[in-house]
Amino acid sequence: MFQIHETIYYRVHSRLRLHVRLGWLLNGVLLKDVYAETPNLWRSQSEMMSLFHWIIIGQALLIFAFVAIYASGFAGGGVMAGVRLGVLLEVAAIGMRLAIYAIQPFPGKLIIYGSASGLIEMIIVGAIVGAIYKPPAVRAS
Amino acid sequence: MDWKKFFIAFVAAFGFLFLFGFVWYGMLMHGAHQEVPTLLRAKPDFPWLILGHIVMAFFFTMLCVRFVPAGGPGGCAMLGIVVALIYAGADLIAFAVQPLTTKILCGWIVGDLIQFAIAGAIIGAIYKSSSPATRYVPNS
Repeated sequence: MFQIHETIYYRVHSRLRLHVRLGWLLNGVLLKDVYAETPNLWRSQSEMMSLFHWIIIGQALLIFAFVAIYASGFAGGGVMAGVRLGVLLEVAAIGMRLAIYAIQPFPGKLIIYGSASGLIEMIIVGAIVGAIYKPPAVRAS
Repeated sequence: MDWKKFFIAFVAAFGFLFLFGFVWYGMLMHGAHQEVPTLLRAKPDFPWLILGHIVMAFFFTMLCVRFVPAGGPGGCAMLGIVVALIYAGADLIAFAVQPLTTKILCGWIVGDLIQFAIAGAIIGAIYKSSSPATRYVPNS
């Protein structure tokens, strides 16, 4: 039982680290100037740092749900199945982003860059999950 | 894939997601949203709102059909709850970077869970295959 927990922990943890790093690179570095155009839409840097644990919890929840969907419905297909799941979930998320754009005054550039980078991120993450996760039957053989 | 059933399920999911969003986020949470007026447009941009819901409904229906090929409200509702957790994760991140209130955060998360669980159940009820239940195992 401990081994199963350890394996799940390792998978979720390694994906989480990658996801946080990619998220920081995309949002904290590459899109920094775009965010700076709309300062009234964001918390101050110090406030964000004080709420940083919510970013980690949010990322962990997101990753957990992704791995749960992959493990229970897409496992066995390897890298391509992971990539397909990543694309499906991210395009649905782009739909959500468009709906948010309709009600919040984000610059269009942010939605375009955010969606493109989100798609790349989810493809990479899906490929990693597909490569790491093997269903029990495959592992036994 | 049964495209006729898929299309009906997609239209039903779109109708429900849009209606639920209007009632939950637009009406019931109107007061909470008014606490942060600078974060919202004065009037929603409806073409983008409709397009966003179409994209969301289409790909969520696609996911349900792939995940639970035999259909059925239970399995698709469960998938809806797990998909809602992904959106809940995004809501938590938004809370950390945008000046949202905890009331709005809780409202969004509860809304996501109800919305996608019911949408999943609707899709599963419409998209029922006559073949026995099978799991999606690509390339097998």
